[in-house]
Amino acid sequence: MNTDVSAIDVQNLTVSYGPVPALLDVSVTIPQGQLVGIIGPNGSGKSTFIKSLLGFLRPDFGDIRLFDEPIENSKGRVAYVPQRGAVDWDFPVTVREVALMGRYAKRPIWQNLTKEDRDIADEALEMVRMSDLRNRQIGQLSGGQQQRVFMARAMAQGGDILLLDEPFAGVDAATEHAILDVLERTKASGRTLVVVHHDLTTAAEYFDTIMLLKQRLFAYGTPDQVMHPELLSQVYEGKLRVFATMDGDSSAAGDES
Amino acid sequence: MMANLYDWLVSVQHDSPHLMKALLAGGLVSTTCALIGCFIVLRRTSFLADAVAHSMLAGVVAGYLLMKLVYGDSAHAGAMLIGSIISGIITVAMVSFVSRASRVKEDAVIGIMYTGIFALGGVMVSFFSDIIHIDLYHFVIGSLLGVGDADLWMMGTVSCVVVVFILMTFRWLQIITFDRVMAASIGIPVVLMDYLLTMSTSLVVVSGVRMVGVILVVGLLIAPAATAYLLCDRLRNMLWVSALLGWTGFLLGYIASEYMNVAPGSAVVVALTAQFMLVFVVAPRYGLLADWRRRLTAVPQQEVEDILGSVLRADGEALSLQQIAGYLNKRPERLRRAASSLDRQGLLAGDAQGYTLTDDGRKEARRLLRAHRLWETYLREAGVHEENLHAHAHVLEHVHDEDAVDYLDDKLGHPLIDPHGSEIPEDFLHLVPGELVKLAILREGHTGTIHSVGGLVSDQANSGETVEVGPREGDGRIWVVSVTTTSGDKRTLRLDHEQADDISIRLD
Repeated sequence: MNTDVSAIDVQNLTVSYGPVPALLDVSVTIPQGQLVGIIGPNGSGKSTFIKSLLGFLRPDFGDIRLFDEPIENSKGRVAYVPQRGAVDWDFPVTVREVALMGRYAKRPIWQNLTKEDRDIADEALEMVRMSDLRNRQIGQLSGGQQQRVFMARAMAQGGDILLLDEPFAGVDAATEHAILDVLERTKASGRTLVVVHHDLTTAAEYFDTIMLLKQRLFAYGTPDQVMHPELLSQVYEGKLRVFATMDGDSSAAGDES
Repeated sequence: MMANLYDWLVSVQHDSPHLMKALLAGGLVSTTCALIGCFIVLRRTSFLADAVAHSMLAGVVAGYLLMKLVYGDSAHAGAMLIGSIISGIITVAMVSFVSRASRVKEDAVIGIMYTGIFALGGVMVSFFSDIIHIDLYHFVIGSLLGVGDADLWMMGTVSCVVVVFILMTFRWLQIITFDRVMAASIGIPVVLMDYLLTMSTSLVVVSGVRMVGVILVVGLLIAPAATAYLLCDRLRNMLWVSALLGWTGFLLGYIASEYMNVAPGSAVVVALTAQFMLVFVVAPRYGLLADWRRRLTAVPQQEVEDILGSVLRADGEALSLQQIAGYLNKRPERLRRAASSLDRQGLLAGDAQGYTLTDDGRKEARRLLRAHRLWETYLREAGVHEENLHAHAHVLEHVHDEDAVDYLDDKLGHPLIDPHGSEIPEDFLHLVPGELVKLAILREGHTGTIHSVGGLVSDQANSGETVEVGPREGDGRIWVVSVTTTSGDKRTLRLDHEQADDISIRLD
């Protein structure tokens, strides 16, 4: 892999579901090996951005290149961990079957999955400590365990880019810890991570780079550059009373990193 | 029983060959419908399937008209089949286009499109009534007994095509149903697969309509699939259970209709629905009875854990239910169910003297004790007042999943005693001979071999050396370890928490 080209290069991306665009004229370049957090209020287009990178949504206009190739040529190079609310937890599928889906991109439809695929999926489950529950139906897991199953699927897929939609929402301390651990390890292996994040108080601590999104890209840079109270309160409008009181904490966290 | 069935089949074939045909056709159609139905249930497109079934009328009429007007060929089966598939696809395409391009939601769009297209078929039938001879009554109600050779061939072909399609693209069908976004991202042609599924639905619906009519065909698709959904935790199993249920439902309904001389189509759908209701009540995990049973035998987890704790504190003495209730300040009869549930799980052993812990029970109780004392230590650090400690920890100890407790233990620096001065049980789940653990969780007296050494302490310890852990110093914050090199030299290391975390030990 050429290490000079940027992992994600988005130019003038505009996506709309109806008359109102969900994303308007977003341009951003993410180098390889970065851990990027996307923050922004509800409905600000964070998930839309992720789905566009996955090639699931067709942009109104704009250009997305992954490793300097159009999206159509990068199928399978992008792994994805969905938002918990977007998954049908009643679906008849077991933990191991979900992890195995990570290998579907590797095998054409006329080939069966091999023992190697199963080993890789099992290894990924082992890494997130879900091996013991591998035959459970996914609805019978706790929230944190469910999140870890999808992390295992993304790892089994082993793409160069990993997109996570709110992985920290509603998980316990142990899972949060486990996810961070996996993120760090993934980053250390040279992959690029883009994480939608809802918690402003931890954003500066977790990520190298932060995108502040609300329909448009309001800021993109290091936590110090982005996590300004004035900028945040402009984007989050009145809904940021909590953050205002935590102001001291967050800038302290920013200084440490 | 088998002999009776065989005799019956022989007599049926002999007396009335059309019954045999109906039996064969019904078996084919009902199992195929049940297979496709699985995807309809999981994708929540029942209403769309209903729409496809109705829109068929327009397609059938158009196919009939085309052949009649152009070739003068009346009631050409192939043209009507192709017409109905095309009209099914047009309906689905219109629905997805209009619901995406307008603010009207999909269910409303389906309602508009399918009545519209169905009515268009009706208009055409009556407008061309002099040249078209389609029996609308049979279209609506079906005629299983009127199945002819041509129909049978059509149904057989449809079943083969659909079954092969499902078998060949199983993985794709699974993932576009479960996670469309991922399916698209790994290059699966999601829209094409949607249309292939719709085409398969149209195909089986066409054969289903011939059998039970346009109104009941949805039942043929969905009832067995939904029944299987209540029984299965894997899509693979759901498919074949659904096919089986489709077949048994058909057989039951058909035999009943022969004996009672009622419309076979309706009887089949009644049987399928009866199967569903039965499973809905008795399904082992997702059934109504299972749910009631769970509610009835449910014991508050808190009571279970409190009982284990009390018996552990009695230190080997048998405790009667009255004594336990005394400790916990609860009435004995309230605890009886929890105690007998523990007995059943093999955690408590009850006899005339009272209850004692089994080995498993002792382990579980110590695990809870560890959680309780770690929580107390944590709460103390967080600034909770002494007299409230126990009460708060008593609530929080019920948060004791292993990961959370180990995390707490690590954050607190692996404390040895809780704020009341009682010993916190060691991490005995990980401290098993042969296990690979961090040095930090070891207690006084543990021995092992250094497996690997991280960057923090690389100049102080080497892998392969054996260690024996001594008493901690500095309020439990300094780990004291006596290290023996492979050549037998001894030295003592003093490590802080981070350094101790950096050495992994294979326990003796």
